[in-house]
Amino acid sequence: MQKILKIAQREYIETVKTKAFLLGIVMLPLIIVVIIVVMKRMSPDKTGPQPPVKVAVNDLSGLLADEIKTSFDSHNQKNPNRQIQFHKLEIQQNSDAVEERARNNLRQGQVDVYVVLDRDVLDGSGKIHLYTYKQKASSIDILSTIEYIFYKTVVNQRYKMQNLSQELLEKLRNVPIERVEIGYAEGQDRVQNKTDTVLKMMVPFFFMYLMFLGIISSGQHMISSVIEEKSSRVIEVLLSAVSPFELMAGKILGLAGTGFTLVSLWAGAAFFTASSQGLNIDVTAELVFYFAIYYILGFLLISSVLAAAGSVCNTIKETQSLMMPIMMVFIIPLVSWFKVVQDPNGTLSRVFSFIPPLTPMVMILRLSSGSEIWIIEIIASIILLAVTVLVAMWGAAKVFRAGILMYGKRLSVREVCRCLLQS
Amino acid sequence: MDAVLLNSLQKSFGEVRAVNNLSVAVHQASVYGFLGPNGAGKTTTLRMIMNIIRPDSGQIRIFGGSSVEQAKARIGYMPEERGLYRKMTVAKVLAFFGAIKGLTGNELSGRVSHWLRRVELMDWASKKVEELSRGMHQKLQFAVTAINEPDLLILDEPFAGLDPLNTDLLKAIMLEMRNDGKTIIFSTHVMHEAEKLCDSILLINKGRAILDDSLSHIKSQRSSNVVSAELEGDTDFIEKLPEVKAVESDGHNFEITLAGNVDTQQLLKALVERLRVQRFEVKVPSLHEIFVDLVGASNAEDS
Repeated sequence: MQKILKIAQREYIETVKTKAFLLGIVMLPLIIVVIIVVMKRMSPDKTGPQPPVKVAVNDLSGLLADEIKTSFDSHNQKNPNRQIQFHKLEIQQNSDAVEERARNNLRQGQVDVYVVLDRDVLDGSGKIHLYTYKQKASSIDILSTIEYIFYKTVVNQRYKMQNLSQELLEKLRNVPIERVEIGYAEGQDRVQNKTDTVLKMMVPFFFMYLMFLGIISSGQHMISSVIEEKSSRVIEVLLSAVSPFELMAGKILGLAGTGFTLVSLWAGAAFFTASSQGLNIDVTAELVFYFAIYYILGFLLISSVLAAAGSVCNTIKETQSLMMPIMMVFIIPLVSWFKVVQDPNGTLSRVFSFIPPLTPMVMILRLSSGSEIWIIEIIASIILLAVTVLVAMWGAAKVFRAGILMYGKRLSVREVCRCLLQS
Repeated sequence: MDAVLLNSLQKSFGEVRAVNNLSVAVHQASVYGFLGPNGAGKTTTLRMIMNIIRPDSGQIRIFGGSSVEQAKARIGYMPEERGLYRKMTVAKVLAFFGAIKGLTGNELSGRVSHWLRRVELMDWASKKVEELSRGMHQKLQFAVTAINEPDLLILDEPFAGLDPLNTDLLKAIMLEMRNDGKTIIFSTHVMHEAEKLCDSILLINKGRAILDDSLSHIKSQRSSNVVSAELEGDTDFIEKLPEVKAVESDGHNFEITLAGNVDTQQLLKALVERLRVQRFEVKVPSLHEIFVDLVGASNAEDS
């Protein structure tokens, strides 16, 4: 045990000191910050004035011209950065020539949007037509604004024609809605807003993604550590002092530590940032406890597999073909997370929970999605995972023992199987 | 009790018999040389002793016990393939290997500085391993091997890549350890190194032991039938002696080849009766000659 700890300690210190590890710590939060900053920059209310949108209107009903003008003016007053410019207002010009000219104007870029209001649009059977040419992605939001302006205009005109008071109708329509989530005790009630709902979806994903990154990055360190020891031929010196199992166990322990450090740092940073931004993330001690258990077991599983995989290869290049299928397995929960979060007790979620490589990530998703999960299911999944870990470590130790001293050639699948069968 | 006892050890790699029915007893407090040409099976044998590879059949006993794992704290092993963590400093590497060999606290730090001084690397203690020259790397490797002051030292080609000065340093340390009662097994194919160091010798070729004996016994057994002598007086009679097969002379120096299995003492007696004998030396073949002789013979036998 003393030896395992010593190896783990060296592995931990030497890994934490590497540039790759330090870069890894900083990179992820940095990328997130960059994305957030860029997103904020991109959002419309932060951008400067944009060129006005030129709109041509053909009102076939002939009743809406004034209403349209008022609506445009009120929009332009509220949005100085995104003006709507009247190009032309035609009334009751229903001919092919007019339409052809309008289309040409659109194609030549003299007009951005061409709107045709049908003659019977106020009776309720006509349509509002919006014509565009080579629509730009940046003009999608303004298009829906224009759409809304015309919709409002038509509706308001209809009110007038029915002699209905616009104010009264607005008043009647207005029913404020409040969503409240109650807490465990009195006084913990919380009014939900939109970000809360998004957060509810994102927190499980974040937890799972954290686990994914932790597992993948420590797995990467495991592979490179084994390959380094193999290629620098330290392995034989080590084996003169410790058994192959002790060596492997020490490595797994040390790298689990580095992975845990990384994940805790990220999680801590994320939690701190979230609460400083006023986002309320509710993480119970229970969840953290389960997270730790599933993380450790999940890590032990992948690192045993990767220790074995690394030991049969001679160069990082050789490991890549082996890494692919292993990594693919861990992509599965990443791809299907939405389905799991939506229905944490569904068949898919349940089945995934009992496929050992998927268990940690899927269970964390389900647990953090906030729905009640049968405690027996949790315990059963942990036991199954733990048994799998033991079997994987036992097998990995055998392959490791045979693999680490093989230089020059890679163990074939058949040879690996033979190692597993040998007592 | 024997430090290492190998009993009919067998190991094959595919078609190749690397070690074939090898039985050896290595006595405690002795230096045992494993000699043989390249590919003879020396490294395979040493690796089997260290339980790095498993024999196909046969037994290995170390300090009377059958488990190497238990004895590992008492063994220092320097593999043929040298390797240390290149990014760690010299002192840290030494401390790490000391620690996994079971040393702790004051004892560990004491040993680290002791061995750094002993292999003359004290000035390099805080340098990274990758900065060392090959010879220095080799000495550090030896220090790593010996840091736990093992009772049994197994060295695979310990002198490969060392300059004469460092070779002498290493030899001196090895002999000192032997005198302290430690057992040393080392492999080499450089005969004159073995000749100076070894108490006993195992000569392997193609996985088979072709000679296993103490060095003094080997030499006395193999004392040849050639005598070199410096004589004064009338020497013509020598050629006619019945014991003598041939004589070559160079002034006072004679090379006398004896016939069959004549005792050299008989010749000496005959000479003393009629001449002044200034020098009389039974020519002992060097280990090199024995090696070439035996390996050649065993190769010829096989073909």
